[in-house]
Parts: sequence; structure tokens; C-alpha cells
Amino acid sequence: MNLIAEQIETYKSIIETEGDTLLVNMGPQHPSTHGVLRLVLKLKGEEVVKIEPVIGYLHRGFEKLSENLTYIQIVPLTDRMDYLASITNELAYVLTIEKALKIEVPKKAIYLRVLTAELQRIVSHLVWLGTFGLDLGGALGGGSTLFLYCFREREIILDLFEEFSGARMMYNFNQIGGLRYQPPLDFFSKLKATLPKLKQAFAEYEEMLQENYVFKVRTKNIGVLEVSLAQRMGASGPVLRGSGLAYDIRKAYPYSGYENFEFEIPIGENGDCFDRAKVRILEMKQSLRIIQQALKGMPEGEVAIRPPVRVPTAVKVPAGETYMHIEAPRGDLGVFLVSDGTEKPYRLKWRAPSFSNLAVLPFISNGHKVADVMAILGSLDPVFGEVDR
Amino acid sequence: MSWMKDTFELTGSFLSAFKVTWKNLWRKPVTISYPDQKRVLSERQRATFALLTDPKTGEEKCTGCYICQNICPALVIKMEKEIINERGYAKTFYLDLSGCIFCELCVQCCPQDAIVMVRHWEIAEIKKENLVLDKKRLMENQKYPFSTIIGSKIREMQAVPKPPTASS
Amino acid sequence: MNTLFYSLVLLAGILLVVAYLTWLERKFAGRMQSRIGPQRVGKPWGLLQPIADGAKLLVKEDIIPQATDKTAYNLAPIVVILATTLVFVTIPLGKSVVLVDLNVGVLFILAISSLALIGIFMAGWGSANKYAILSAMRGVNQLISYEIPLVLACLVPVILAGSMKLSSIVLAQSKVWFIFYPFLGQIAFLIFLVSALAEANRIPFDITEAESELIAGYTVEYSGMKFAFLWLAEYIHLLAVSLVGSILFLGGWNGPWLPSGLWLALKTLLLFLLILWIRWSLVRIRLDQILALSWKVLFPLSLATLILAGGWSFIF
Repeated sequence: MNLIAEQIETYKSIIETEGDTLLVNMGPQHPSTHGVLRLVLKLKGEEVVKIEPVIGYLHRGFEKLSENLTYIQIVPLTDRMDYLASITNELAYVLTIEKALKIEVPKKAIYLRVLTAELQRIVSHLVWLGTFGLDLGGALGGGSTLFLYCFREREIILDLFEEFSGARMMYNFNQIGGLRYQPPLDFFSKLKATLPKLKQAFAEYEEMLQENYVFKVRTKNIGVLEVSLAQRMGASGPVLRGSGLAYDIRKAYPYSGYENFEFEIPIGENGDCFDRAKVRILEMKQSLRIIQQALKGMPEGEVAIRPPVRVPTAVKVPAGETYMHIEAPRGDLGVFLVSDGTEKPYRLKWRAPSFSNLAVLPFISNGHKVADVMAILGSLDPVFGEVDR
Repeated sequence: MSWMKDTFELTGSFLSAFKVTWKNLWRKPVTISYPDQKRVLSERQRATFALLTDPKTGEEKCTGCYICQNICPALVIKMEKEIINERGYAKTFYLDLSGCIFCELCVQCCPQDAIVMVRHWEIAEIKKENLVLDKKRLMENQKYPFSTIIGSKIREMQAVPKPPTASS
Repeated sequence: MNTLFYSLVLLAGILLVVAYLTWLERKFAGRMQSRIGPQRVGKPWGLLQPIADGAKLLVKEDIIPQATDKTAYNLAPIVVILATTLVFVTIPLGKSVVLVDLNVGVLFILAISSLALIGIFMAGWGSANKYAILSAMRGVNQLISYEIPLVLACLVPVILAGSMKLSSIVLAQSKVWFIFYPFLGQIAFLIFLVSALAEANRIPFDITEAESELIAGYTVEYSGMKFAFLWLAEYIHLLAVSLVGSILFLGGWNGPWLPSGLWLALKTLLLFLLILWIRWSLVRIRLDQILALSWKVLFPLSLATLILAGGWSFIF
């Protein structure tokens, strides 16, 4: 009797201090945590009182592993970080090494890099759009319809990549000093035939989602991210631009010949889920613009300044520190290289955009409903290969 | 009367979504029913590996130089060398496909063009140990069509492309 | 004896039709999503797929988690499927093809079908799972709020026909179907459709299932045949909704040339396809928005429709 009374007292004190909350442990195995994120949710009814993301379930020790591999061997491994946008990872790494070695790559390689990076951005955003539909609409419903439409269009681009490099996701296709090979002879004509299809598909997505009242209701004023908070947390990419700050590394610190291309930086107004979604959809259209320009101005010539390496120790970077960052589909992807003059890096640090973007989550999802947490998480678009590295 | 406006907007947006799905209802499915139909693979397809023999002399091309073992980032290649008649051979050669990341660096590095990737991707096995390819199985894989990317060819592939008649 | 035979045939018929409705849904969704849908089991168009599904669910291990409230957990699927199947007792499937043509047919259908709510809450509570209990709470919220517009919308045909008997309602539509009554019919049908969708937990109102946050809601801890019961109940409910909708608003078996049963089947199928089309084109709405839609839009609208219907039947 006494024991029960005691228990009631403790429960009462818990309820008084914490409120009548329910602790829900979402993940690491959960259909819409985009991989292996664990969310500790404290719920009051349907409302989220506190949310705490727990990461590290996909940690593969990439940075430490890089210290034991030579510069050439690291290139294929970078594909595995942000596995939805492999080429941008390769590009960031390869550009870092080229900056450290102070080498210039041929013009055709630059153009092809821009072309493939933008195609990759479309691919990555298509995956995001599809999974965002799943987050909002569930696996059995309109969400999955949108998901499959997105993957249908993604497949077309992946087929092109497969023709180019022989692989569909993990390309290993940039090499230090250029590209590993020329595109196949009919690559450009096939790509040109693809572009109108993509344009039509984007229009369809907009009709299905962007202008859709249900979609607006689910995303407007949900997860509002202030610009100041976004800057403080180091958010970048569409998450930052959705908040209204036109910061794009392609414009701010042009790399790999992006200064030669004309494009706009789409920005949002309120920084809610809707704006982030809008920015990504508009970005896909801008990517199409860049691709068209790259196709038009595609020069002839070699794609690499040096033959493909034949020995693992072929590249030696002079001692020193190098930092290079590029605009990956998820934001500011930075590589910091400390080399000691040998064939292996002394330290290779990656600044993963997903990680900083995910850090925003606890600050913007309080007070929303459970269903909104999934929408917010989806709109941040983290990839856990990159968050945990 | 904002809810009236909302209701009308709601109906309109339903209709726009219905239009898209209706349009797609009459499109041809993009599914490839796998065992009956198969995709056309690209010429550079990276799938499984093969060790080659010289078609003229019938000798193994591999000289057991350890370069592929050294460059493999995933450390899946293990080999031993033996020397017969002043020429190196791979006495044993193991390639663990379960750990392979299909980066093609071994193909790129091979000075003899001995290891290539073949366009045969149905390599699933029930037992994991069956994924470790030994020398015999790698030699058997020669029967499949090769990927066009071969060590010495990559240099050519980086050059300005020739018209299709010249390269066959 | 005749009644027993008829009810057995009815039960078997419902199960068979529902099984093939799942096949239809999968095929339809497949084509909508540029896929093919089921095609392997039963060579032309995967026609044996529902039977394979049923066999698979029957032989599946029945897992009962340790912490469950056994009584509630085991009873819930039965309650749910009972409540949804009992509705068919009074639904006529053609001219004079009915088990019991109750005087209070509409009332009976509404009363019995809302019993499923108890089963859903039992499933959610008995599962001893946080996702399940959240889903059950959502379900109760949603079903109670949508009961009122649904009843009010169903009352419109009742007022127009002057009877709660389903066969008399159909008879009253022999000249003009109720959906063709200007404004009145369309609005009442729309309210009926929306609230019936909400009652059946279909997208855009399927927040009880909500696999993006609650995984599978109240069915999350069920496996094997118990899961199949809960899942079948959903489809039986849908079939009932389509049938009742076509009887109340689309004129039932009234129609030229074709035999009466075929007309009813055709209308039911059309209504079912419309529901499928809605499901595979829209995303889910949040709980508070669903409740707001019910109380702020549908409830006043249905009251207004009811008054309009009263006026109509008074004048004409």
C-alpha cells in the first residue's frame, strides 16, 4: 500500500515537473528517418515538446581510414559519403588535391565536371522530392506515386551516367587531373534528348505537389528557420537559401569554371518547409539551364592532363594545408587537407553539409505535431552516409 | 468566408493532382520484368572480374606483380607469386567480391591488361564464401563480354574521341 | 434455412470480392505509378495474387508480444471485422436481393459501422505500443468527428425519400437520382464521400495508419491472420462505403437496359475506383487539420444541406 502511494507520488512529481509527456524513441530503424537517425521525441499528446537527434549509426571511420590510404585510393571512397550525390564528393576531393598540387585541368574536363555535377544535383534533388513525398503522404498513397515518378526520371539520368562511367551510383569517375575517360560518342545527343523529358517531368511535379493545397497546408509555416539561426548553426545549401539568404558557393567562391555559367540562386521567404522545397525544385530548373549552357559550349580536346596512374603512390602532395569547398546538392561541402609531403594525407577533414543542416532540427521542430517532425526532417534532407562519415 | 476560399482551392488542387495521375495512368509502364526481359547494359558496365589469357599463345597474362593488390582501397585482392622460366605468374589469386567496391582501380593499374571487368552482373550467391573468386573462377569468367575499359585503353579513352569507324 | 444459405453466400462473396478489390487496387496503383502491378502469380495479370496473399497470411506465425493486454489484443480484429461485415445484412445487392430489409436500414448501417472504432481502440490499447496507442487516439478523434457530417449527409437522401429503408430510398430514385438534385445532391454526396473516406481511414485522412511517423499505427504489433482481419476490415468497409454511396446517391440498381444487380455493381466499382484515384494522388493531412475540416467546414455545410433538403421535400 505504502509502495503504491510512493509510486503515485513519484509519478505526480514527474508529471508536475515534466508534464504528462510520452517518450517515443523513433529510429534508428524507422521508415522515414532517411537511413539511421534516432530521434528521441518527448510528446505531449500529439505535440512535440523536445526532440533530440542521436547520430552515429552509420559511422565508418572514413576520415581515419583516409589517413591510411594513398591519395588515389581515396577517390572511390569519397563516393560512399553522400551516396546520393557521389560526383560532387569526388569533385570536392579532386579539386582539393588539384589546388594543393596547383594543376590546371583541360577545359573539356572542367565543362564535363560542371555538367555531371549539375546532373548529379538533379538526381539528388529528385531523390529528395520523392522521399519528401513519402514523408508527407506515406508509402501507400500519393506520396509513393510521386516517389516513383521521381525515380522514373532519375533512372534516365542514371542510365546516362552508366553509359559514361559503367556504374550507376558509385562512379569513381573524376581523377586527380581530369576525368578518367571521355564520354561515349553518343552521350551528348542522348543527354540532349533527355532534357525536354526532364523539363516536362518537373512541370508535372509542380502540378502534383508545389501548387497543391494539401501540400501547402502541410508545409507552410512548418519548421520556420530564421536566417540568423541558420547562419549560427552553419546551415547551408537549400536549407539556408530557403530562409532567404542567397549564399551559393558557385557564385560566392566560383570553382571549376562556374563563373562562366549563367544561373540564378533561388531563395525562399519564410524559411519553412515549403520554401525549402520550392528552392530545391527551382534549383533543379537552374541546373537544367547550366547543363544546356555546358552542352552548348562544350569544347573539344583532352579530358585529363596526365595519364591514369599506374602505381598507388603516384601522387604526392607537398606539405601544407589546403581547404576547398564546393556547393554540393545539400550545401557547403568542404574538404580540409593537411599533408606532410608523403603519398598519404596527414589529416583529411570533411565539412559535411548534412551534419550542420541536421543540427538545426531540435531548434525548429518544437511545438509542432509528430507528423510535422517528419516533414521538417524531410525538408532538411540529411544523408547519413555524410552525417556520420 | 476564408474557409469557402480554402474549400475551392482544395478542390482545385485535388483536380490538378488527379490530372497528373490520370495522365500517367495511360502511359506505358517503365517496368522491366527482370527474368523475362533484361536491360541493355552499357559498354563500360562494371560488374564482376576476369583474369585473361593471351588469345595467341594461350598463356596467362597476369605476371603476379602485386600492383592490383597494393592499389585496392578495399583490400579484397590477395595473391601469391611464383616464377617459372624467368616469368612471374600468380600462383594464387583471390578476389573477394563481397568486399569489392567496384572502383575499377585494379583494372586501371594493371600493366599487362590481365584483369578486366566483365559485363555479367548476375553474381548473387547464397553462401558468402562463394563470392570469393579464386584464380580458376576468374579465368572462367573470360567467357563473358568484356567491359570496354581496359588498363591500357584508358589512356586512349582520355584523348580526343575518334569517329566511330576508326575505333572498333 | 434460406436465410442461413444466403448469409453464407454473402459472407463468402464479400471475402472474394474484397480479395479481388485488393488486386484491383494494386493493379490500378501500379499503372498509375508507371509500374505493372502484380503479374507473377496466375499468369494473365497476376489474377491469383489475392489467393497467394491469403495463403501467405494464413500460414504466417502469429506473434503475440509479451506486454500486450491479451484480451483486448486478441479480440480487436474480431470486433473490427464483425462491425464492418454486419453492415451487409441490410444492404440490398439488387432488386429484392437482401438478407433483412430493415425499416431503419440507414440508421443500422451507421450505428454498426461506427462500432469498428471500439475495435481500433482495443487494438491500439492492447498492443502496448506507443505508436499503436498514438494511432488509436488519433483514430478515435477522427472517427468521432466525422460521424456527425456522415450522419447528416446520409440524412439528406432519407429526408428526400421519406424512409430509412434502403429499398425505398432506391425506389424513390427511380426517376431522378439524388445526386442530380441541383446543389443539394452534389454537396451532400461530396460531404458523404469525404466523411466516408475519413471513416474508412483512407488517404488523405489515413492518419491512423500514417506509416511515415507511426509506422503502421494500430496494426503495428499484429501479424498473420489477425493482421489480415484488420486489413480486410478496411477493404470491407470501403466496399460498404461504395455500395451505400451508390445506393443513397447514385440511384442504386436503377438504370436502363442492364439487369439491376449489374447496375449496382457498376456504380459501386466506379465509386471504388474514384476512392482509389483519390488515394494514389494525394498526400496526407495532419490531425488538427482533419479535425478543423470536419468541425469548421463539413459540419456547418452538412447542417445547411439538411435544412435545404427539408425545404425541398416540403415544397415539392
